[in-house]
Amino acid sequence: MTAALAFEDPVVADPAAAETMQDLAQLREECLARANLYRILAGVFVEEPSTNFLAALREPGLLQSLCDVGIAFDADFLASDLATLAEALACEYATLFASSGGFPPIESVRLTGRFKQDPHFQVAQIYQRMGFAQVKGRFEVFPDQLGMELMFVAELLERSAAALAREDMPTFKRLEKESKRFWALHLGRWVRGYSGLIERASSHSFYREMARFLGGFAMEEIAAMGLSHLDDLDRGQLEVPKSEIKMEFNPDEPVCGECPPGLLERGAGSAAARVIPITPLHDLQLRG
Amino acid sequence: MKIPSLKRRTFLQVSAGTGAAAATAPRLLHAMENDLGGKDIGPVTAVERRAVPTNCHVCNIQDGAIAYLENDRVVKLEGNPEHVSTRGRLCAKGNSGMWYSYDPDRILYPLKRVGARGEGKWKRITWDEALTELTQKLDAAIKEDPNTIMMKYGRNRTGGTLDRFMQTLGSATVVNHTSVCESSKKVGMEPTWGPDIETPDFANAKYVLNFGSNVLEASYFHNPLSQRVTEGRIDNQMKIVTFDVRLSNTAGFSDEWIPVFPGTDGAVALAMGNVILREDMQDSDFITNWTNVTVAELKAHYQQYTPEWASKISGVPVETIERVAREFATAKPATLFTYRGPAKHLYGSYNEKACMMLPIMTGNVEKKGGYCLPRGMGWPQPMPEPGKPAKGSYLSHPPDYPLAAHKVSHLVPFWIAEGKQKINVYFTYQDNAVYTNPGSMAVWGKLYKDEKLIPYLVSMSPFMGEETALADLILPDCPYLERWEPESMPNSLWPWLGIRQPVHKALGESRENRIMLRDIIHKLDPDGKRGMKQFWNFKDGEDYMRHHFDNVPGLKEAGGLNFLKQHGVWPIYGKLNPKTGKVSDKTGREIQAEYGLYKKEISAADMTGATVDKAGTISKNGKAIGVKRDGKNYVGFPTGNRVINVRIDQWAEYGFNPMPTFKRIPWHESMKDDELILSTFKLNVMKQSRTAAVKWLAEIAHSNPAWMNPETAAKMGVKTGDLVRVESAVGYLVTKAYVTEGIHPKVVSIPTGFGHWEYGRLATLKLKSKKSDASHGQDDPDLNNVWWDDKGVHPNNIIPVVADPIGGSQGWYDTVVKVTKAGPTDKYGDTEGSWEKHVAAFKETMRYAYTGDLHRKMHPEMTAWAGPESVKHKAGGEH
Repeated sequence: MTAALAFEDPVVADPAAAETMQDLAQLREECLARANLYRILAGVFVEEPSTNFLAALREPGLLQSLCDVGIAFDADFLASDLATLAEALACEYATLFASSGGFPPIESVRLTGRFKQDPHFQVAQIYQRMGFAQVKGRFEVFPDQLGMELMFVAELLERSAAALAREDMPTFKRLEKESKRFWALHLGRWVRGYSGLIERASSHSFYREMARFLGGFAMEEIAAMGLSHLDDLDRGQLEVPKSEIKMEFNPDEPVCGECPPGLLERGAGSAAARVIPITPLHDLQLRG
Repeated sequence: MKIPSLKRRTFLQVSAGTGAAAATAPRLLHAMENDLGGKDIGPVTAVERRAVPTNCHVCNIQDGAIAYLENDRVVKLEGNPEHVSTRGRLCAKGNSGMWYSYDPDRILYPLKRVGARGEGKWKRITWDEALTELTQKLDAAIKEDPNTIMMKYGRNRTGGTLDRFMQTLGSATVVNHTSVCESSKKVGMEPTWGPDIETPDFANAKYVLNFGSNVLEASYFHNPLSQRVTEGRIDNQMKIVTFDVRLSNTAGFSDEWIPVFPGTDGAVALAMGNVILREDMQDSDFITNWTNVTVAELKAHYQQYTPEWASKISGVPVETIERVAREFATAKPATLFTYRGPAKHLYGSYNEKACMMLPIMTGNVEKKGGYCLPRGMGWPQPMPEPGKPAKGSYLSHPPDYPLAAHKVSHLVPFWIAEGKQKINVYFTYQDNAVYTNPGSMAVWGKLYKDEKLIPYLVSMSPFMGEETALADLILPDCPYLERWEPESMPNSLWPWLGIRQPVHKALGESRENRIMLRDIIHKLDPDGKRGMKQFWNFKDGEDYMRHHFDNVPGLKEAGGLNFLKQHGVWPIYGKLNPKTGKVSDKTGREIQAEYGLYKKEISAADMTGATVDKAGTISKNGKAIGVKRDGKNYVGFPTGNRVINVRIDQWAEYGFNPMPTFKRIPWHESMKDDELILSTFKLNVMKQSRTAAVKWLAEIAHSNPAWMNPETAAKMGVKTGDLVRVESAVGYLVTKAYVTEGIHPKVVSIPTGFGHWEYGRLATLKLKSKKSDASHGQDDPDLNNVWWDDKGVHPNNIIPVVADPIGGSQGWYDTVVKVTKAGPTDKYGDTEGSWEKHVAAFKETMRYAYTGDLHRKMHPEMTAWAGPESVKHKAGGEH
């Protein structure tokens, strides 16, 4: 890439370079913005929300931003005092995520039905490979817990932002690839379906709405990363309206032996042969 | 080189002459599946899996097991081929043990109740928060009276830790579960010959009498004993005769299944004794030298128990009683086994005693192929040990049941409700009395929901069972694959010591019991000033095990705990022979057990200072240590007088018959023609309450229709699958019928382990309810494949308490019921029990205690007894 010009240089010798720098800055801002969203979502699911965290979430600015994207909490979140809210959410958290009969936000549980299965170990290895060690919060957390996985992507994004700041594109690309890979192999396989489940199962609007936010954010991230063919294995497959389904085969196509040569062979007159419309097949190659 | 031109037909013809050459060519590939076990290769990774030996704890047989791990995850469980008792075999339950570790409904964090008890609302709290709250409650309770702290446990394999904990707190209020298990069997046996169980040498027996056990599916000790039963059958052409109300798998395996009226096994056994004695088939030498009665006394006593008398009571034909008695007495060697059929009744202790008299009077005790003493091993406790509590506990040693050495736990709710003992803090460990005990939700559920009777309920459990769901505080325990525990079970003729060791790291914030209890004590007494901490000075579970095992003679030389960590068991008596499936020593011969343990001679050193009385009892330091017979000093039996007590004088002190006897259950005598007796039984894949959530086991059995005889069913117009209403004096249930000839016509029998209303999404089938729609992932290979809708109906709500006044056992198989076709408003699964009616049943059973008004009526032969006031010394004692 072309060398960035020093700021003290009064002459902008290369407009393309300036534009690249602006792109980088924008990209960096985007990374940091995304990292923040990951951190917020991680904070929602990794453990019971603290009063500080809740206070920050109830900041009018943030509430408005969430409202702009269709996230609207009920009075149970907005009206209660913080201590009461924290207590109520601790109970809801236990019911949804941390006691018998709930829906543990653990990839192993969602995809295999049991704690500590392959995803647990795979994810732990990824963290280690990328130089991360888990530290204990208020409680022990599995490596494939939703909050941990989101936190990991947040870390990658922050490192990406740092790489961009020093214009270290190889590192940035590598981290971007890691993020995509992590989504393709882990988060993307369950988060969309899971968020739908929590949305349905929550009694409190906080978890209902944050689950919706998680689901929407996940879809946006997947689209932005170009992972459009990523299948959610936790009942998260998209429901495509029938009208949008493009047929790749002709359901009227007769079984073998019904084509004109076959018919002739069976002695059917040419007058009895049907005209069979041919529908061209779509290109099945993956795009992107 | 010209390549031979071969058509297919031609080369196949060539192969016709290659047999000999092919046979003698080297074979260098061996199929691993033909090995005996002990190692395992991953089918995908092709890498040898890490093998960690342990002892199973899905049920209570403690089979030797090996856990195979990939990446710290248990992927397979198999038997331990080095274990002399179970010889590399593990039953279906043991193979499924990893389900406990990874169960998605497992409790992984301390939980504090929010809302009403049983509402299902919890808050996750840290261990520090949990311990702070708990110790505040304990402090207050200790100040008031340490006995207001209660520990009730179900399955306790901690090796002494629970007792240490309660003694540290100064509380004597420790109650086990044994009265709903087999306490009357124990109490029938212990004063008779010392230990609480027998080891029948099935493998070498020629004849087996089986009273009420289904050893091929359940009972102590299913896995090791069923192997030996099969060996006896095949190798010795052993004959086995089973008395049971039901055609169990064991009865079906037997040469004869003799359906017997519930609770009358003792009468049949006494009548068989009558035949043996009247026809002089007894072993007079053994009776004279090794029991506390003479042959003449025994003959005189047994005269009253005629086959005609027993036939009338039991329904067993006279000819059958006489024939089987003769066969048993003349087949040498012969053995006998009982499990729960005789014991779980009012006067179950008498039944048990009557049955064990048969091998005693025929001299089959401690013979090869006979009725042998159990062989177990013990281990020392870490020092120092806390002293015994200052004051006794009513609940722990109820004065109305002085002979019930294993307590009467199933009456505890009533005694608490009566105010017999105040409770402030109630601990429950590996217990689920709300499900497993008579009365179930109607009794124990009511007790636990009452915050005045049980102000603070703490459950130490990894699972949200019916009892844990009512707790105030849940402390997440570890399932067995994550725990350290010392182990030994008398389940073979070769004693062994084993361990349970963590095969993988504990999940979440679970803590194994001894660590949890240590942490509670350390919180109560952080600087040791209260004198509690000194009893809990160990680093971790492994350190605690070193205190147990590093100084056991023999094991110490072999390497102590390190040996056990490597092999899972000690001693290792030999190698498993792939041809025979038995254990062979270094010479290749099958290992032989030692018999005649009571005839081991006392050493000269031990005889120094000993005295011998006229009866030949050898005493030293005020204690009997042996018996002199024919000039030799033998150790005898582990009883107070070192002989077998046919006559139990201690029983007579309380107005019970000291000699073998039988008592009919009064309400069986007066039951109407259209009434039946309800019994319950265990399937081979279910046990107590802990297996319904194990998918692999639930696939095999997940519902429990009521067995009834076609004769009975025809009277009601019922066929298999029809709904029936089963009504007792305390409640009713609605379930499906299973009509079969394999059940006594006067019995209806329901398998247990089903009908959960807690214990996770699989046990309750909540994964099928609307709220739990998609509660599991779509690719969950197990929960996506639950094809059944029927989780069964639990019978315990309608079973009233009955307590054997001697042994304390619950009379599980005594309930009189009326069974009718279900009514128009009856729905499958309806069940109701009434607390008030259960209380009435409790009051009724107390009338049979030695202090009750029916005791004398039931013992007309004891008219000389001077009454409860005449009792001079306390009996009982803990086990």
